[in-house]
Amino acid sequence: MNHRNGPPGALEDLLVLDLTDEKGMYIGKLMADMGAQVVKVEPPGGDPGRDIGPFHGDQPDPAGSLFYWYHNTSKQSVTLDIHSPEGQELFKRLAGQADVVLETYAPGFMASLGLDYTSLSESMPRLIMTSLTGFGQTGPYRDYKTSDLVAMAMGGPMASCGYDDLPGAPPIRCDGWPGYMTGCHYAVVATMAAILSRNFTGQGQHVDVSLHEALACTTEAAMPWYIYRKQVVKRQTGRHHSIQSTPPAIYSASDGGLVHVFGTPPQTMNRWVGLVEWMDEQGIGPELHGEEYRELVNTRGRSSELVFNLFRRVGELIASMPAAAVYSRAQTIGLPWGLVRSPEDTLDDPHLWDRGFFVEVEHPEMDRSYVYPGAPYIFSETPWRIARRAPLPGEDNEEVYLGRLGLSSQELERLRLDGVV
Amino acid sequence: MEQRQPLSGVRVVDLTWIVAGPQCTRILADLGAEVIKVEYADSSDYIRRAPPFADDQPGPNRSGFFNNLNRNKLGVTLNVAHPDGLELLKRLISISDVFIENFSSRVLTRWGLDYPEQRKLRPDIIYASLSGFGHSGRHQDYTTWGPTAQALSGLTFMSGLPGQMPAGWGYSFLDHTAGYYAATAIMMALHHRHRTGQGQWVDISQVETGMVMTGPALLDYTVNDRPYRRDGNPPGNRSMHPRVAPHNVYQCLGDDRWCAISVFTDEEWAGLCDAMGQPSWTREVRFATGEARVENEEELDGLIGDWTLRHEAEEVMTMLQAAGVKAGVVQTSADKVDRDPQLRARGFFPVADHPEIGPYEFEGFPALFSGTGAALHRASPVLGQDNELIYRELLGLEEVDYHQLAEEAVF
Repeated sequence: MNHRNGPPGALEDLLVLDLTDEKGMYIGKLMADMGAQVVKVEPPGGDPGRDIGPFHGDQPDPAGSLFYWYHNTSKQSVTLDIHSPEGQELFKRLAGQADVVLETYAPGFMASLGLDYTSLSESMPRLIMTSLTGFGQTGPYRDYKTSDLVAMAMGGPMASCGYDDLPGAPPIRCDGWPGYMTGCHYAVVATMAAILSRNFTGQGQHVDVSLHEALACTTEAAMPWYIYRKQVVKRQTGRHHSIQSTPPAIYSASDGGLVHVFGTPPQTMNRWVGLVEWMDEQGIGPELHGEEYRELVNTRGRSSELVFNLFRRVGELIASMPAAAVYSRAQTIGLPWGLVRSPEDTLDDPHLWDRGFFVEVEHPEMDRSYVYPGAPYIFSETPWRIARRAPLPGEDNEEVYLGRLGLSSQELERLRLDGVV
Repeated sequence: MEQRQPLSGVRVVDLTWIVAGPQCTRILADLGAEVIKVEYADSSDYIRRAPPFADDQPGPNRSGFFNNLNRNKLGVTLNVAHPDGLELLKRLISISDVFIENFSSRVLTRWGLDYPEQRKLRPDIIYASLSGFGHSGRHQDYTTWGPTAQALSGLTFMSGLPGQMPAGWGYSFLDHTAGYYAATAIMMALHHRHRTGQGQWVDISQVETGMVMTGPALLDYTVNDRPYRRDGNPPGNRSMHPRVAPHNVYQCLGDDRWCAISVFTDEEWAGLCDAMGQPSWTREVRFATGEARVENEEELDGLIGDWTLRHEAEEVMTMLQAAGVKAGVVQTSADKVDRDPQLRARGFFPVADHPEIGPYEFEGFPALFSGTGAALHRASPVLGQDNELIYRELLGLEEVDYHQLAEEAVF
């Protein structure tokens, strides 16, 4: 993508062909927002990922999927039927110019089209292909089907998330796309590893990323608890999984807002003193002045009767003030407590605007712009940027097929009439 | 000579601790970078004191949590509050490619080691700062742990049953995630430096790494004025986008055993009905179409749950996957370690021998490379394990100086 303002992105030299479905679309966004030219290759008529809502104005239109908008910023789009022999030839010509192919088809599908890494790399030794699938290209589950829910179940996150105070409540998956995005995080890391490797060796390679494994190593201490102690941590409402019961972590403030309490008992005496002073002002918990409570500072104990009582007092403290006041007072004395915010609440946080987190993205065909979540990192020399809103289906056919591949307008028109593009 | 890995030859000075920073440098080390983890005895990594411990015996070199996160890294002790210690840190930075820390935002400036100062030591250094709120903005002095950032970013709120308190996340998901973004950023910066010779500073806020995971929900508000905070949200395990059913976890035979089932198409629905043995209720008109199944989701979930309760979770998964239905056991760590043939087949649990606690299995790296990729070379360092290697061999301290600095508790 052309950089319209400011210096180029860190990946501006890379051409990426993006064949991913909803599992892997975020990989290409991460690369495109850092300057790579990422060309989404969609079937004629548009990518099935465009059918996922919510939709602009609640109208299910391929150009209006907010899911697609978010996951495809800064990309270009071409339409191409890779099932047709002519489509496969065009894809190979594009791949011959590309650095990376991203794909999420079932294992074996790319090979059935003659477009797998082994086939392509014979004539394109520098090509990198990253395949993100539910369980990887090998092993007894390689043909298992997945979804974000199935991945979050199998990988282990869900076993740690849920309720201990609602009888019969199931393990819970966070809404949104936390499973797929975690797979994409590892896929982009692995793709960058292949690129850095190629910088020295000149050789491309095939990168086989397993969504299942990405989640299986994203469960913090749950795995060591079993490997070292053969213990299975239990899920608890709104707080860390544990082998023993710990006090609740989320409390209602006087205005109904919720506050998440962490780092308590505090790790330093300063913070302890700050907390007790605050309790005193609100007339809560005179017993916290006792020496036995001071001794809780910087201990890891979470389950003694003293700790449970401390948290009861914390609950009373939070109930005595509005949530925003609790948050700022706690942070001022060094306690890492946080507001439990809904996504839209974050738009009211001036700190995020100070950092330029939210960005306006132009949608010229609608003659307006919308606020998007912005950069996950701030680069001092090669800025992250959304160069363009997600493409319309086939929006860049002419630039790519005429400009890059040198087809004539007549050829492109024939391909269109034949349903190849 | 070991095989070249993607990050071979990249030296990383690692002043991170707890989980987020070590998660980042674990990835870099797994991919072949020479990661030098810098600690000091009195303020060693907090996770060294976090359970579980090998044989249930606490000790700074016995935490399984620490071992799993810090494998493949070299470990030195260094007292940066001592002038000679700070000098050694500067010498390390001057011969390194990457410097990463996850202190709160003003610590490095206090040490006289902010990015402009680092550049004087190493003009093309890649500096990664990883903190709760980033190194700019009015709340840069606020601090987070994973759960704080999850709450602030919206991810805690988005996890739970409708009408209940949030279930949130049962662990520091955003410690992992912030680490993933830091590793990604560092590798992108390495690519840019390879092409141009230019280093840079990358600043990462843990809260922002959570907010980028809420994209479509936030756009629903900025585009459609529809807040996520509304009746029916969060939707538990049901799927609002796309709106399909059944999509939930179902209790199975045994103690706290569950299987996830998600049906998106009529073909998958037919597969589910076949696997359940075509009970008559599946042919009722209230479940005949995708829309009808969504309309009658509550009853549908109850009927499917009656069936799953009669089977073991693994059996439900196997039967449904054979019928082309997306299904999977809600696996615990015990399931993953003892009963997951897929993870075993892909070599996901490599073993390394730790000098104090012996051999243990580690989580693997979730990608296999046809050329060169990740590998497990060694367990985590015991405190100060590589002092001699780094200070004598790498920095070239004379033996007498080395011993004197050790006596002065510089390391």
